[in-house]
Amino acid sequence: MKLAQYSWRPCLATALAVCTPAHAAGRDIVDGLMQFRSDIAYQSIQLMTMVAIAGALAIVAAVPLGICMSRPAQRRAAVIMQVLNVGQAIPKLALLALAMSVLGIGTVPAIFGLWVATLLPIAQNTYEGLRAVPRALIEAATGMGMTPLQILWRVELPNALYVIFAGIRTALAITVGTAPLAFLIGGGGLGELIFTGIDLNDFTMLLAGAIPIALLAILTDAVLGLVQRKLVSRGVTPCDGKN
Amino acid sequence: MKNPLLARAFALTCVLLTAFWSTPSSAAPIVVGGKNFTEQQLMTEITTQLLEAKGFEIVKKDGMGSAVLRQAQENGQIDLYWEYTGTSLITYNKVSERFSPEDTYRKVKELDAAKGLVWLNPSRANNTYSLAMNADEANKQGIVSISDLAQAIRSGKALRFACNSEFYARPDGLRPLEKSYGFDFARAKLKRMDTGLTYQALKDRQVDIALVFATDGRVPAFNFVILKDDKGFFPAYALTPVVRKVVLDANPSLAPILNALSEKLDAPTMARLNASVDVSRKSLREVARDFLKQSGLIG
Repeated sequence: MKLAQYSWRPCLATALAVCTPAHAAGRDIVDGLMQFRSDIAYQSIQLMTMVAIAGALAIVAAVPLGICMSRPAQRRAAVIMQVLNVGQAIPKLALLALAMSVLGIGTVPAIFGLWVATLLPIAQNTYEGLRAVPRALIEAATGMGMTPLQILWRVELPNALYVIFAGIRTALAITVGTAPLAFLIGGGGLGELIFTGIDLNDFTMLLAGAIPIALLAILTDAVLGLVQRKLVSRGVTPCDGKN
Repeated sequence: MKNPLLARAFALTCVLLTAFWSTPSSAAPIVVGGKNFTEQQLMTEITTQLLEAKGFEIVKKDGMGSAVLRQAQENGQIDLYWEYTGTSLITYNKVSERFSPEDTYRKVKELDAAKGLVWLNPSRANNTYSLAMNADEANKQGIVSISDLAQAIRSGKALRFACNSEFYARPDGLRPLEKSYGFDFARAKLKRMDTGLTYQALKDRQVDIALVFATDGRVPAFNFVILKDDKGFFPAYALTPVVRKVVLDANPSLAPILNALSEKLDAPTMARLNASVDVSRKSLREVARDFLKQSGLIG
């Protein structure tokens, strides 16, 4: 097939044809989006509040859970892991629906549903991160006469922190993306613009909800990345270019 | 194309596609659409069962937003569904004048005919939007009409309101309603959620006022009162079968069948049917079948 050699020409032509009106339309879209700015601001705050509360509670609960699972004495790790995996497999929408049937309508069940969804990846990463700490380091620490608690605080956690943070970043970015579903159970947030846009077939309104969510997810990941750089010791950060 | 195998495969695909598309249109199944709340799901199911019993092949597509469904019908992706006269008048045809129920029907029939859509006979079920409150609460606050509600809000009562996403932004929805009655729900008092949940939210006192549909069975079952639309803001929303003209021409027996069904529907009937789904928790399929049998539409 020689086709491939020439295919860039029509591609370029198509791209140009699409881009030229798109540029003109771009201004219309920006103008269109601006008319929703008070909604966007209000709903973004609603959404990020839910994410922040659910995320903070998830970190507080999931990191200790992951630590518990990784203790050698804890033989039930495999069982808990299975439960977590099953939990991961439940669609986020079903999770919210279940939360609603127990807690009613509004922000509280929405935060609960998001909390469960955020819990699982963080606990998993904490567990995996701690398990991946080289045996040699722990043996050396034991040889130095450290107690198990000292080993956990001074050897295991610092070494696992990079992986734990990766879990937190992924989990929270996904939570931002899941949070629009909270609208369906009366939790508010940017889902209001998206679902109204779908119902009314109003593309601009849909974008006014979708674009801020994408930006917020990226922003969340970036901010956590900065925190990670501050918190995780350079010495244990893998592949920082200078290894 | 130098590869003979590829050329042959391409030719075969072309032949198959042509054969597929050129099947006579009379054999094409009829696509029945519906919106995303109980009454519409019920009407979609009833229509599907009725037409299948009459020997039509049906594809059912329910659970869509109003504007999407209407767009799909104009594009020919949906052949028929049950629409409300007021919705077509105000939301699709952007008419802001208010008419009597008969004139509303006549007007949309005329306006939509230009788009290739035929409005069959309207039913007597007027499923208008309504604002509802818990009966005891409305009594206590002395609120009977939407004007009373507007007065209460203007005097500083912080009342919470639940509605679905669509109502919030429709031209016959919340903003124009507020304007017409002269009041304003504070942004934080406005709870938007999935359509069916507004009833539960009001019943559980998580809000003070909810958007409801007049023919919904949960209004009497949950002891709600409907606030009187004393300024006549909402038009008539007569439930009516709307069919694409092309489909109607190809299937002339469709109109009398749907008109006979429309004839059987009025507000109490719709409220009863809706309640058997939402309150008694019967399945759509069962409610639709029982209704069709009792009304003698199918044997």
